[in-house]
Amino acid sequence: MKKTMTLITAGVLTVGMLAGCGAKNDTNGGNASEGGGDSNEKVTLTVWGMGEEAKTLPKFADEFTKENPNIKVNVQALPWDQGHDKLLTAVASKKGPDVVQMGSSWVAEFADAGVLADLSPYVTQYPELNPDNFYPGAVAAGKYNDKYVSSPWYVETRVLFYRTDMLKSVGFDKAPATWDELSDAAQKLTKAGGSGKYGMSIDPKEQSLGFMFARQNGANWFTADNQPNFNDPKFVEAVSYVNSFYQNGSAPKDLGLDIVPAFKEGILPMFISGPWMIKLIQDQAPEINGKWALAVLPKKENNMSVLGGSNLSIFEYSKNKDAAAKFVAYMSKAETQLKWMDSTSSLPAVTSAWDNDKLKNDPNYQVIGEQLKTAQPMPVLKSWAQIGDSYLKHFEVIYRSNADVKKEMDSFNADAAKLMK
Amino acid sequence: MKGFLNRQAPYVFIAPTLILLTLFSLVPIVVALVISLTDMDLGGLANFDSIGFIGFDNYVEVLTDPVFMKSILNTLFYVVIGVPLVILFSLAVALLINLGTSRIFKAFRVVYYLPSVTNIVAVAVVWSYLYNPSLGLFNYLLNAIGLPDVQWLTQPTTAKLSLILLALWKAVGLNMIIFIAALQGIPKSYYEAAQLDGASLWQQVTKITIPMLRFAIFFVSITTMIGWLQFFEEPFVMTNGGPLDGTLSVSLFIYQNGFKFNNFGYAAAGSFVLFVFIIAITLIQLRLQKNESDMT
Repeated sequence: MKKTMTLITAGVLTVGMLAGCGAKNDTNGGNASEGGGDSNEKVTLTVWGMGEEAKTLPKFADEFTKENPNIKVNVQALPWDQGHDKLLTAVASKKGPDVVQMGSSWVAEFADAGVLADLSPYVTQYPELNPDNFYPGAVAAGKYNDKYVSSPWYVETRVLFYRTDMLKSVGFDKAPATWDELSDAAQKLTKAGGSGKYGMSIDPKEQSLGFMFARQNGANWFTADNQPNFNDPKFVEAVSYVNSFYQNGSAPKDLGLDIVPAFKEGILPMFISGPWMIKLIQDQAPEINGKWALAVLPKKENNMSVLGGSNLSIFEYSKNKDAAAKFVAYMSKAETQLKWMDSTSSLPAVTSAWDNDKLKNDPNYQVIGEQLKTAQPMPVLKSWAQIGDSYLKHFEVIYRSNADVKKEMDSFNADAAKLMK
Repeated sequence: MKGFLNRQAPYVFIAPTLILLTLFSLVPIVVALVISLTDMDLGGLANFDSIGFIGFDNYVEVLTDPVFMKSILNTLFYVVIGVPLVILFSLAVALLINLGTSRIFKAFRVVYYLPSVTNIVAVAVVWSYLYNPSLGLFNYLLNAIGLPDVQWLTQPTTAKLSLILLALWKAVGLNMIIFIAALQGIPKSYYEAAQLDGASLWQQVTKITIPMLRFAIFFVSITTMIGWLQFFEEPFVMTNGGPLDGTLSVSLFIYQNGFKFNNFGYAAAGSFVLFVFIIAITLIQLRLQKNESDMT
């Protein structure tokens, strides 16, 4: 069992000491930052990539070096769950990567700490970085207080995955198009499936879903003076709607099954998830090929989905900002993004890349492209991680004990107001 | 010169330990104390100028935080149920293994010790399958004998007990080794004398073995108690504090506030409360032990 004291203190102490050393280097590096992008000088960029896709990144870094022989790129692959801790250390030591892949939920806190460089000065030199090239939602996710701190790299959005054969058997020839139809289909599927089968999966640990449904119901998350508005009647109505799936038994509270096998066996014939699931289902459940499809989310007032993905940021303490911007610009080219899609199946954030035949003709990608048009990110707020966490806790009370939704959302709203102060 | 060396020698020998202790324990504790009086967050980490001194606000806030209170109650639940079980089970296993003379008991020593050296993440993967509501072995066995499913990790109180079960399984081995070492330190002549007087096996165990093990039991209870007050890995890897904060321990609360939400000052204040708590409980235990040894 770890010693808690050391947990907190040793970490802070070590980074504190590193900070002492880092500051000196920074002053020395002041001059170098201007010469960094000079074509005669050789520079080495450190790039931090996260998760699976970071393993493919070195191949693209080599291509980039082929075009720019003076810039060597050193890619470090970090697992997502360690990325945040690593970045904290980098912030404390003021020494870290030149370019870093940011999950959209991290942008606010790190931008608030002032460690992400403003990209707008580079837009004239590298037109690839122009915000107009990207999905507007993705640009919004990369902005903090109107400062353009990270450039969209790839995007994803949530759509409805459903078993065409099973929906047909309960009378739905196409995917449910409205909230009412979705609820109706889910209940019919549950009834038709019998014990141990459900209508759809709504992951109760996914914090963005509740906010997404609320927005579809026309709720504004914030009041005009930027106060949380999570107990708005429309928000409450949306949460009650989500809760109804758990209460009438059409969505499981704790199933403990992975989604792909459950989808294959028809235990969960519908679920809401992102494009990465396409390949997973194709690989892990080839038996149901042709028996499932994607659809845009059912609508209430609208059917806006959540926009996620990854952005690329330049670290404020980088000495080679110019070279770093060049690299980010390279990764933002439509052709690089398409190649990137081929090797990692993550979707391009550059809108012009979507003219590509593969994206245009594939029915699954068509659905996602359609959904992307209106998808909006979660708010870029420093305290959002905590607010989302708080939502999950209050929602857990609601779906587990069928608590009064209005009362619970009142209490959540009060918590959120406190967190936003 | 020789006298000087003689006088200095002990300090030279303890210097490495002292330096390490100061660098990695004492200084961090002081730093944490300072941080706990500030509003340090991620911005403060990047730029020390933005750190503000806020006195005891963090302490007031953390002590009135219902989630923190819940985590304290959970931790006490773990300690009150877990620690006696660990001592009981490891002592029982040690006694039984020590009584056995056959070779197989040596093998069982390894069997009981293995969980202690197994990586917690690997353990967590296996145990979360055992507890899995749909595929879990435990529910399968319950169903096989006609009992209903148990919500191992999804009902707050049951989840606490499930984590205690896991931690117990993991903790028995190490403490068993300590007890076995202590058992083998008891001179054989005591038992021979007792046998000559016609003492039964039970009498030998209760009149000789247990009293002779008093110091080992004391040692194990203090280390186990401190360990369980810092209960962290099991809820961290298995439940992440859920459901409904039902398995949230104080250490996990500190971790989440410090490294997930970047409220370093708040987390440091929480860790200090825990620190004081542990010191107080250890002092009480030491005092009790002293009273007891005075009596005998």
